[in-house]
Amino acid sequence: METEPRRTRGMGIASLSAAGDARRRVLFGLAALLSPLCGCGRKRESEPKVIDLYVASDGDFLAFKPDELTCPAGATVRLTFHHAGRILTTRHNWILTYPDKVEALTKEAEDDDGILPKDEPRVIAATPLCDKGMSVMVQFVAPPPGDYPYICSTHPEDMTGVLHVTK
Amino acid sequence: MKPSRIAAVLGMIGIGLLLASSVAAQLKSPDDDKTALRLLVQVSNDFKRQINAKNFPRIPHEFMEYTEASDALRAAVKDEPADFKAKVETRLKAAVAEYKKISDMSANSPDADKLMAEHAKAVAAMNALFDLFPADLRPDPNAPPPGRRGAAAK
Repeated sequence: METEPRRTRGMGIASLSAAGDARRRVLFGLAALLSPLCGCGRKRESEPKVIDLYVASDGDFLAFKPDELTCPAGATVRLTFHHAGRILTTRHNWILTYPDKVEALTKEAEDDDGILPKDEPRVIAATPLCDKGMSVMVQFVAPPPGDYPYICSTHPEDMTGVLHVTK
Repeated sequence: MKPSRIAAVLGMIGIGLLLASSVAAQLKSPDDDKTALRLLVQVSNDFKRQINAKNFPRIPHEFMEYTEASDALRAAVKDEPADFKAKVETRLKAAVAEYKKISDMSANSPDADKLMAEHAKAVAAMNALFDLFPADLRPDPNAPPPGRRGAAAK
């Protein structure tokens, strides 16, 4: 009784090198074809790429440092904005908008003293206004590839930069 | 050009550089001085912008920032000789008074043209203050700040 299974296993292993090789290729091929349909590999696709970005004011001066950022399209971006001022009590924020909307948004921000409505459709992402020495954060999904301007709503003419969204 | 004339020109340049560096070297905190002077110009430009935009309610806030930048300059020169500090204080007070006048006018009788005329006087007072500092520390009061306007002006 003991020898029978051993022989069978032994025969099976031996047979792989002959007829089983072709069968194995077919099975692997089928598995590869069916895996996207049955959900295998979906996990990797649904895992969003998370990118941490950091931007600050140039001390008390009206500029962003850096004034250029880069991230891939579709990535989940966690952006931290730090108000690096020490002297002036003016507040700053970081607002991402569309290239063709920045002029209109700048005008609205200037007219309304830097206060923009929460559901402003021209805004892709925005941090709250931030006092000197403080940091604020915003999380958003990076838009399609392109160059997107960012501004501070309280100084939209001076504090500007560009987010380069790559493929 | 004769060699003697070249030597004379080089000598003049050398003396000029030596004088400039010695004045700058006399200051205890040139970086802080430079920062404070730049902030005064920055806020002064904000005054101008708010006047042009007829955003008069914002002007008192700009004046508050001007006083903060003024305090930063006072802190920057605190270790300087008493006579220099006294000169700075006199001209700084004069400049602050001019900007306060704009702030008060914007609250009481806002008129963009009159405010711009007052702003020109205030800038003159600020420039008199800047004259006390070495040229390499003085910001250009008419230089646009960085950003889209600055880039457009290039």
